[in-house]
Amino acid sequence: MIVEDFIDFLKGVPPFQFLTEESLKRLSSSVSMEFYPKGTMILRQDGPPSDFLRVVKKGGVKVFISTEDGEDMVIDYRSEGDSFGLLSLVGGDKSRANVLAIEDTICYVIEKDTIMQLVDMSPAFTEYFLKSFLSKYIDKTYKEMHNKSLLYGGGDKLLFTTPVGEVATKEVVTAPQDITIKEAADIMSRKRCSSLVLTDADGVPTGIFTDRDIRDKVLSKGRNPQEKVSSVMSVSLIRIEARDYCFEALLKMIRFSIHHLLVVDGGRLKGILTNHDLMMMQGTSPISVAREIEGQQTIDGLAPVAGKINRIVGLLLKEGARASNIARIITEINDRLLRRILEIAEKQLGPPPVDYCWIIFGSEGRKEQTFKTDQDNAIIFADPASDEEEKRITEYFAAFAALVRDSLAKCGFPLCPADYMASNPQWRQPLKVWKRYFSNWIYTPTPDAVLKSLIFFDFRAVHGNFALAESLRDSLHAMLDGQMIFLGYMANTIIKNVPPVGFFKSLIVEKSGEHKDEMNIKVKGVAPFVDMMRLFSLEKGLRETSTLERIEALKSRHTIVKEYADELEHAFEFIMLLRMQHQFEQIELGLEPDNFINPNSLSNLEKKTIKEAFNLIAKMQGIIMERYKPLIW
Amino acid sequence: MANGTDGNRKISATRFAVIDTELTGLDGKRDAIISVGAVRMTGGRIEISESFYRLVNPEKELKAPGVVIHEITSEDLLQKPGIDEVMAEFQGFFGADVIVGYCVEIDMEFLNREMKRIFGASIQNPVIDIYPLYEWARSRSFYEERTTSMPGRAKLYDIARYYDIAVNGAHNSLVDAFITAQIFQRLIPGLTAAGITDVGELIRLSNRLKGGDRQGISSGISNF
Repeated sequence: MIVEDFIDFLKGVPPFQFLTEESLKRLSSSVSMEFYPKGTMILRQDGPPSDFLRVVKKGGVKVFISTEDGEDMVIDYRSEGDSFGLLSLVGGDKSRANVLAIEDTICYVIEKDTIMQLVDMSPAFTEYFLKSFLSKYIDKTYKEMHNKSLLYGGGDKLLFTTPVGEVATKEVVTAPQDITIKEAADIMSRKRCSSLVLTDADGVPTGIFTDRDIRDKVLSKGRNPQEKVSSVMSVSLIRIEARDYCFEALLKMIRFSIHHLLVVDGGRLKGILTNHDLMMMQGTSPISVAREIEGQQTIDGLAPVAGKINRIVGLLLKEGARASNIARIITEINDRLLRRILEIAEKQLGPPPVDYCWIIFGSEGRKEQTFKTDQDNAIIFADPASDEEEKRITEYFAAFAALVRDSLAKCGFPLCPADYMASNPQWRQPLKVWKRYFSNWIYTPTPDAVLKSLIFFDFRAVHGNFALAESLRDSLHAMLDGQMIFLGYMANTIIKNVPPVGFFKSLIVEKSGEHKDEMNIKVKGVAPFVDMMRLFSLEKGLRETSTLERIEALKSRHTIVKEYADELEHAFEFIMLLRMQHQFEQIELGLEPDNFINPNSLSNLEKKTIKEAFNLIAKMQGIIMERYKPLIW
Repeated sequence: MANGTDGNRKISATRFAVIDTELTGLDGKRDAIISVGAVRMTGGRIEISESFYRLVNPEKELKAPGVVIHEITSEDLLQKPGIDEVMAEFQGFFGADVIVGYCVEIDMEFLNREMKRIFGASIQNPVIDIYPLYEWARSRSFYEERTTSMPGRAKLYDIARYYDIAVNGAHNSLVDAFITAQIFQRLIPGLTAAGITDVGELIRLSNRLKGGDRQGISSGISNF
């Protein structure tokens, strides 16, 4: 009788009403009933996943999400006949939202296993949940959250908002179905893919062979690798539309217990989606992205991976990571990306005719880039033995540098407006020419030469023969030794950059123009620290290029830095973080990131901290002025 | 070891068998059990799929009032198994669970009479009566602001109506056990809030307040 009541109730409630009598009976074999007094938090966001689907019998609940800034955002109200807990039940990792009883509420509670069986067996049932839950989540969670809390994000949101086409592996490796298991494995190994789509004579896909099949159907079963692959391939090819959301793909994988989906667009095979792709997307972790970079064979494969770097910054910011740590991680990833591009270019154009070293400078050289910065790179190659050889080398590197430039652009690194790129013949030169450049700048410090040295002297080797870069650095330090005039020029540029603090300690902003009421945090905040630490490091002949590493190294060698090391580190970290947050917010809003911050948008604490940073800059400038007095004009 | 002997067990982790019986009358010597109904609970959760309901074939004619209430006629019952068989099955159902009922003493009297007759021993499980628990909640509610007051000297259906638990439709021992379970379910959050989280305390509270004795209730309150 109690059970009959339950079944009668479900018969009036979608999607249960679509179920057969038999399915309803099965449901009732694992159902219980719970009572939640008004005010009970039934599920907690980020708490343990729900092990039950709850159907409201009586009362009502509020589904809401607590945003980063502590505000609650209501996603939905659910009342009699509505259910909740499905997403975390299927996801199995954690609860996506808070569910609060807003009245005394009674729920039918159905066990996870029973629901999963229904998901497997009843397409109408699953479809209903997909549509009702997903559309609500996508419409509300994404849009409102996007506007409200910029830093909120992470894997969950992506799962609900990213179309399959965006994360699917574009390149589908296919082979005729009459090859052997061994041949199939060879192809997969060579192409570094986890799945192979087999086709018939007309090129129509007939089956799929995966890494898992090799393990489960071949090796563990002791099959002969000379057998036809068609004898072990999976013939159930499950498709998904490229425009479908990833969550639907995940459900399909769960439902059919498979790890690969064929992605189709307009009836045509567009790619392949693996659970690995979904995991990568969900856990946009630095490590997974780094690994993913290593696995790419083509520039086209690298480009979408590179697109994830900004997401990583967002996640790290959200987690409250320090600016220096974020910059370190991003540097590591960008370096790997760059190396991979260089390796691909070398493969494409053949091995370079002579040793070379790819160097990067500017913020990349200092390991301080955050969001995709302009390309700043150059090639140092070994001095050629003859003019004839030089001609051959020049031709090779011309093509090489152009290819790398275009590849980097494809991966989202804009060209350098000042053309400080290896694709510019001026910046791909033999070691001896580089040494000449440096000596010219140092011995004839024109304003242009000083500007170039500020940029180039922070160079760092990333690929090739590092000895070339080391040799150049040795020469640089030898040339600078005792060159007080050149260092004086550098000191002058530092002192000319006056901190934007007014007489009454107000922050000085732009008075007019596009950035009225804003200030340039890069010029006024980041640059003074970078320039001062560069000057001190060159004074002392230190090889470090990153500002924080320079502070660390100078602590024991430089009297000024020794005294102010902690303040310098904190101030620099703070300003970097401020800049990163500002740029990330812009990216989230779909704007080009810039360096202009409106001080009014800062909290009082931030304002106070930034003023302290400017005071520190002013103090250091005073000390530098004192030291370089005869050279300051 | 019987479930109830572990008094430190949390209410939320305790299995309860919420029971009700239908009788031909209230005379413990002459009247008999017509039906037995029960629902399992785990803490505050009613396990809908785990219920028990048996009609009993009595040796006597049914008395008229019971017929009206429960719509059971002798004809129905003559087809059913005898009390010995039902009691054996019922014992299998409640096992080591804590037994819960509304004014459960009368049910226990009839059940134990049969148990002793058939198996030579009465039921040893701990027993909780929700009536004194309801009275306890009611006495506490005097200090709270509420729109509707909890009825006093309440019958099962009065309490059910107070809690907005459906009582319409045909009634039998299973439906009544289910209603009792739902009342118990409503009472648990208040008990938990008052610091009664162990099943041992719950049993003691139920025993002390038995019979709805005012004195007992007030002395009970002072302890919490």
